[in-house]
Amino acid sequence: MSELVNTRELTPGMQIVLVDGAVAEVVSNPLDGVWVFARYLSSPADPSVVGSEEMIFAQDISEIRTVD
Amino acid sequence: MAAAMGTGYRAGLVDLAKGQVSREIFVNDAIYAEEQERLFARAWLFVGHESQIPNPGDFFVSGMGEESVILCRDRANEIHVFLNSCRHRGMKVCRYDEGNTPVFTCPYHGWSYGTDGKLVGVPYFREAYHSQLDRGQWGLVEVAQLCNYKGAIFATWDAAAPSFSEYLGDFARYLDLTLETWEGGESGVEVLGGVQKWLIPCNWKFPAENFCGDSYHNISHRSVDLAGIGPSGSGRRDMREREMARRLQVSFYERGHQTGVYVLPQGQPTPPAYADSPVVSEYFAHCEQQRRRKYGEWGRVIGSPGELFPNTALHPRQPRTIAVWHPRGAHQTECWRWYFVDKAAPQQVKDFLRDYYIRYSGPAGMTEQDDMENWNYAHAASRGVIARRYPYTYEQGQGFEVADYEYQGLRVPGTVMDITEAKSSEHNLRNLYRRWAEFMEADSWDELATWRRADPGLVQAAE
Repeated sequence: MSELVNTRELTPGMQIVLVDGAVAEVVSNPLDGVWVFARYLSSPADPSVVGSEEMIFAQDISEIRTVD
Repeated sequence: MAAAMGTGYRAGLVDLAKGQVSREIFVNDAIYAEEQERLFARAWLFVGHESQIPNPGDFFVSGMGEESVILCRDRANEIHVFLNSCRHRGMKVCRYDEGNTPVFTCPYHGWSYGTDGKLVGVPYFREAYHSQLDRGQWGLVEVAQLCNYKGAIFATWDAAAPSFSEYLGDFARYLDLTLETWEGGESGVEVLGGVQKWLIPCNWKFPAENFCGDSYHNISHRSVDLAGIGPSGSGRRDMREREMARRLQVSFYERGHQTGVYVLPQGQPTPPAYADSPVVSEYFAHCEQQRRRKYGEWGRVIGSPGELFPNTALHPRQPRTIAVWHPRGAHQTECWRWYFVDKAAPQQVKDFLRDYYIRYSGPAGMTEQDDMENWNYAHAASRGVIARRYPYTYEQGQGFEVADYEYQGLRVPGTVMDITEAKSSEHNLRNLYRRWAEFMEADSWDELATWRRADPGLVQAAE
């Protein structure tokens, strides 16, 4: 099981993996510990959201994706 | 109005014919609860100043009656005042005093709102709500009316209330003494430093009454006068106008606002002030010249403490400040004090004023400490079952009011009591309770906006 992500440490440009397998890039962080604004890079469950920006709920974030 | 006839709110609690007010209105919990609905939910209340939220996303958490509210500027630069309570389960969505944010997020279940109040984040919206929650219906509760009056933000919860301008009436001229720049220019005023906030164990009407223009209690500030904290090295403020001006108490019967003022004789320059600092003294001397030039005869009017009904205290000069008396139960008041300075004033002037202001007012201010001690013990000594049987008297100067007061060619708006020789009167205090009783009795603004009866145009505009 991956480590719990502290959303307050997420900064723009970081990529996050969501519990449904989607990957998103952090756009901005209100630092409320609850939400981050992110753009979908991929979404196997709903490809129509790719490219769109959404508020991502902290409990929906599964892990930080290391970018090479 | 029953109050105006002298029978008063609940048969005698406010008896203006006798000039008496029952202690019950200060210490009775049931009356306090009724005040929240009939008074604070309907009147226009001071929330803050635009200089506190200069940029999009800026917010300042304030209060309206018992309610916590957020004063904020949205991304489109529009100013809002919202109830600081999540629509889902009521948790405060903002627990900071001030700051900048893109969203207000409730820490309980995570609902999140934009600075325009719209509900933008609902956890598990698709999964738990099946995308069926109508987010458009569940934004933050916004005040019914908001007015940016010369930078000061006022709001009311009552959609039926008259506009702020109508609520003010001609009292605007006196409010301007606090909100306009000292020399009358367009550069505006700003809040100096932070807002002071503190609790005192008394009913909110004790400080409200005090700031209506109660000059009778000056004796309790004698020790401060002796200490000489004033900006010219003596007294508690520069008061040379007292020696040459008419000293007036001004009430607006139909609206409940009141203030003290000094009116200088024609051709009499404003006495010099701020002698402790040549820079500050020169600055204000220059401002006074400009002010006279801009306002003409009205420039002879010098502001003194007043009260915008119900709980906004004005102190136009030395120190220049607005206080709000937030009700926190019948037996406690949360005082908030804002200090103002002309934006364009030199930094040296601002620094000098800051030091003087906090020496005078606020929880550590020597003058306000005197006041608080009086309110504290007056309230405590009025709570007992025996004490409650005995009303306070407000009959000082009753019957000596003048409706069309004029002094050397200057007509002074409002109903005036000239206390130059009398030294003191409770004219303004009676006005506070007159209006208080009317609010407590009236069921609608048709009853409260009595001035409309004399001006059918206003009725039409309101409709």
